[in-house]
Amino acid sequence: MIEINNITKYFRVGFLGTKKNAVDKLSLFINEGEVTGFFGPNGAGKSTTIKMIVGLIKPSSGNIKINGYNALDYKSRNRLGFLPENPAFSRGLKGIDIIKYYSKILNIKNGNSDTERVLNMTGIYYARNTQIHKYSKGMTQRLALAAALLGDPDILIFDEPLSGLDPIGRKEFKDIILHLKEKKKTIFFSSHILADSKELCDRIAVLVNGKLLKNDSLPSLEKEANNFYEKIDDSAALEYKNPLENYLYSLMINNNNNK
Amino acid sequence: MKKILYSAFYSFNEIKNSKIFYSFLIFALILISGSYFVSQTSFIDQGRIMVDFSIFAISIFNIFIGIFIGSSIIYDDIEKKSIFLNLTKPIKRSYYLGGRILGLILAIIMSTFIMTIIFYAVLLIMRKYVSPVYFGGMSLEIMPQSIFVQSFFIIIESSFIAIIAILFSLITSKALASIFTIIILFIGEVSSRLNALVKPIKIISDGKLIIENHASPVTIFIVHLLYTVLPNFSIFNISAETSYKISIPSDIIFYRFIYGLSYSGLLFIIALVIFNKKDIT
Repeated sequence: MIEINNITKYFRVGFLGTKKNAVDKLSLFINEGEVTGFFGPNGAGKSTTIKMIVGLIKPSSGNIKINGYNALDYKSRNRLGFLPENPAFSRGLKGIDIIKYYSKILNIKNGNSDTERVLNMTGIYYARNTQIHKYSKGMTQRLALAAALLGDPDILIFDEPLSGLDPIGRKEFKDIILHLKEKKKTIFFSSHILADSKELCDRIAVLVNGKLLKNDSLPSLEKEANNFYEKIDDSAALEYKNPLENYLYSLMINNNNNK
Repeated sequence: MKKILYSAFYSFNEIKNSKIFYSFLIFALILISGSYFVSQTSFIDQGRIMVDFSIFAISIFNIFIGIFIGSSIIYDDIEKKSIFLNLTKPIKRSYYLGGRILGLILAIIMSTFIMTIIFYAVLLIMRKYVSPVYFGGMSLEIMPQSIFVQSFFIIIESSFIAIIAILFSLITSKALASIFTIIILFIGEVSSRLNALVKPIKIISDGKLIIENHASPVTIFIVHLLYTVLPNFSIFNISAETSYKISIPSDIIFYRFIYGLSYSGLLFIIALVIFNKKDIT
C-alpha cells in the first residue's frame, strides 16, 4: 500500500532560482494487488513523483508512506522493486555480477535460485556472463527488470517500462506485467502511451502539469469515456479510435499549459 | 554493515575493470621498470635516483587514481543514472557512499601493492637498496623499512585525496572537482613550507632579541589560515628518509596515520551530509 499525502515538489530554475512546481499538492492511494497506470504528457511530473516514491527525491512538502514507512526511510524499500526509465549499470561488470550484488543487498536467502528465476523470467539468462557494456538497450532493460524482480517484491514501480522497446520487447514486457498482475502484485507504472491503459490497468491516474486530474478505476473511466464519446460530433476528427484513449488524450490536451 | 562490504567489493570490481585504472597502473609500472635507465643519467648514487624516481611514480599515479576515479565514481553514477537501481534497494545512502569510498581505497591499496612489488623486483634485479635478512638458515633480500612506510603513506594520502575528490564531485562537475582537488593537493603540499617562510625572524641585535615580521599581516593571516584549515599533505612525503634508508619511528607512522584517518573521517561526514540532502534526479 502506497499513500501519497499532499506532496509538492518544486525545483529552483534560472539565475534567480525561481521556484517551479513539478508536482503540486498530489494525493494518491495505490491499492494493494492492483495495477495502477500513471498517465500524463512529457513533463507532467510522473517521473518526479515516482522518484519521490522510491526515495531518490525528497518532497518539498507532504509525505509518502509505503507499508507504513516513510519513503525516505530505506526500510520502505524492503519489499519494493523499481525499474527506472532508460536504466543503466556501471561498466566493467557482467550481468550476473550485478544481479548477485543486488541479491546480497536484498539479503535473499536462496540467492542463486532467485537470480536464475529472475534472469529466466526476463529472458536475459543467456547473456548473464556478458559484460554489461556489450548489452543492447533491450537487454539492459531486461536486466534492470530482473534486478527489480529480485526477492519477489510485493510492490513494483516501473517508470516508462515500455519506452524504447521494439514491438517484440513491448509484447514480452506486457506479458511479464500481466503475469505479475495475476500474482496480485501491487504495480504502479508511468506511461504516456495511452494504448497501455486498457490492456494493463485496474486503475488509472492522470497527471498534467504536476496536478492530478483523474484517479479512477478502469470501468468507471471507461463509462466516463463512453459518455464523452457519445457527445462528440461524428464528423470530428478524433486522435484515437478507442474511446478511453481518446478521453485520456482530450483530458491531457485540454489541461496541458506546456503544449 | 555487511551491505557496506558488498557495496565496496562491487565498486572495487568495477574500478579494477575500468580503463582509466589500468592505464594509470600500466603507465606507472612502465616508469618503475624504466627507473634503471633514468638512474644511468647520473654517475653517482644511481640507486638513490632509482628509488626517488620509482617512489615518485608510485605516488603520482596513485594520486591520479584518487583524483580522477574519485571525481567520477559517484558523479558518473548519478549522470548515467546507474545510481537509481542502487539507491532504490533497501540500502542507506551512507552505506552506498561508504561502500563506494572503500571500493576506491581497495583499488588504491591493490595498485600500490602491485607497483611496490614491481619496484622491489627492479631493486632485486639491480641489487640496489636491498639487504639480506637471515631467518635461521635462510636469507631474504628485503627493502629498507622506510620504503614500506612510504608505500603505506601513499595509500593514506591517495585515499585522503580520493575522498576530497568525491566530496567536490557531489557539489560540482567532474572536471571542476578534479581541478579543485589538484589545487587543494598543491596547497597541501606547500602550505607547511609557506608557513615556515612567513614566520617572524628572531634577530639578536646589540644584545637584544628583536622579532621581525618580513611579511605583511594579510599574507601571514592567509598563509596561517591555509596551513590550519587545509590538509597538510607534505607529512606523507618521506622520500628523503627513503633515499637515505632512514627508519621511520613507529610514533610518527601512527600520528600521521591518525591525522589522515581523522581528516578523511571528517570529510566523509561532510560528504554524507551533502549526499543525504541531494535530490537524485
